[in-house]
Amino acid sequence: MFNEERDYNKFAWEDLGDLVKGRPNLGLSVPVLVYRLLQYTFRDVMITELGVNKTNDIIIKAGRLAGRQFCENMLNRELDFNEFVSQLQRVLREQAIGILRIEKADLENMRFTLTVAEDVDCSGLPPTDEVVCQYDEGFIAGIMEAYTRKPFYAKEIDCWANGDRCCRFSLKLQRDTE
Amino acid sequence: MIDKIAEKLAMLLQGKITEKIDTGKIAGEHEQNLAKMLNQLINFMQEVHDFIIPLSKGELAEIKISPKNFFGSPFKELHSRLLHLTWQANQVANGDFSQRVDFMGDFSEAFNSMIVSLDNNEKLLKRKIDELEKALSHIKSLEGILPICSNCKKIRIEGTDPKQQDSWVQIESYISEKTEAQFSHSICPECIKKLYPDFKNGLSG
Repeated sequence: MFNEERDYNKFAWEDLGDLVKGRPNLGLSVPVLVYRLLQYTFRDVMITELGVNKTNDIIIKAGRLAGRQFCENMLNRELDFNEFVSQLQRVLREQAIGILRIEKADLENMRFTLTVAEDVDCSGLPPTDEVVCQYDEGFIAGIMEAYTRKPFYAKEIDCWANGDRCCRFSLKLQRDTE
Repeated sequence: MIDKIAEKLAMLLQGKITEKIDTGKIAGEHEQNLAKMLNQLINFMQEVHDFIIPLSKGELAEIKISPKNFFGSPFKELHSRLLHLTWQANQVANGDFSQRVDFMGDFSEAFNSMIVSLDNNEKLLKRKIDELEKALSHIKSLEGILPICSNCKKIRIEGTDPKQQDSWVQIESYISEKTEAQFSHSICPECIKKLYPDFKNGLSG
C-alpha cells in the first residue's frame, strides 16, 4: 500500500485499521493540534519540494478522496437531499470536523453556498486574502460526488474570524466550471 | 494635517462616513502613513455601513466586505446565520422536520422546540386523517344496493354471475370482508321456539 510505485489511488477505508483494538487506552481521538501539526508540516515541506500550485493541487485531491471515502463509509447515501444534509451536519459535528450550515441550495442546478465554522483545518487562523482551506474544498466536493455520483467543484469564497474562524464555500457541478 | 485627521475621526465617532484624505498632498512619510491608515479605517467603516444597513432591513443579498476588514466579521457571521436560518425555515415549511439549529443559545432551543412541535402536530394530524379515511372507506364499502336472496339472505358479491351459486355468500362473511366487524353467533327467542321448542326459557348470547 505505502511502498509500491503506482499511478492510481488505492486507499480503502479498512486501511485506517481497527482503531478500537489499536488504541484501547488512548481512545479514538487526538487533539486538533496534532492533526494540524501533521497537515501543516506536510504542506510546508511540499511547498518547498513541489511549489505552491502543485501542493494545493495535491491537497485538494487528497481532500476529494477523503470526502468520497467519508461519504461512502460514514453516511447513508440513499437519503433524499434534505435528510442527507441533516445527517451530514450531525456527523460532521459528532466527529468534531466542523459546524456545517447551508446558506443557499439550488437543487435544480446543483449549486450550493455553505459555511463551515470551527473547522478542524483552519479555525483560529486569522482571516487573510489567502485561501487556506484547500483540503476542505476537496473534502466537500468529494462528499457531494459520492452522494450524487457526479463530479463537483468547491471553492472557498470568503472567510471571517470572530474568535472562531468561519469559511464560506461555493459548490457546483464540475461541468459548470468549464 | 493633525487637525484634518482629528476632524475625520470625530465624524467617524459620530457614525458619519466621511470623505477620504487625499494622501498625494501630504508631505512627510509618517503623516502620509497615518493618513493612509485613516483612509483604510474610513474604507472599513464604509464597507460595514453599506453592509449592515440593508441587513438591518432584512435584505440578505450578497454584500462584499474584504477579508481584512475585522470590523465586518461579526456582521458577516450574523449575515451567514440569517441566510442559514432562512434556508432552514424554508426547509421546515416544505415539511423537512429534521432541521435543527445548533449553537445559537436560547434561539436554538426555541427554534428546535418549534420544529418538534410542528413535527408532532403534523404526525397527529396525519394519524387522524388516516383514521378518518379508513372509517370513510368502510362506510363507502357498504354503500349502494346489495343484492340479497329473499329466502336464505345470502348476498351476491358485486360483479359476479347471479346464476353461479358461489357468487352468493353468507351475510356474515360479506360484512366481515367489507368492514372490521366480527360476528358472534347466537339465536333469537323466536327462532329458539321454532327450532328448539323443548327449551322454554331460551338461550342468551
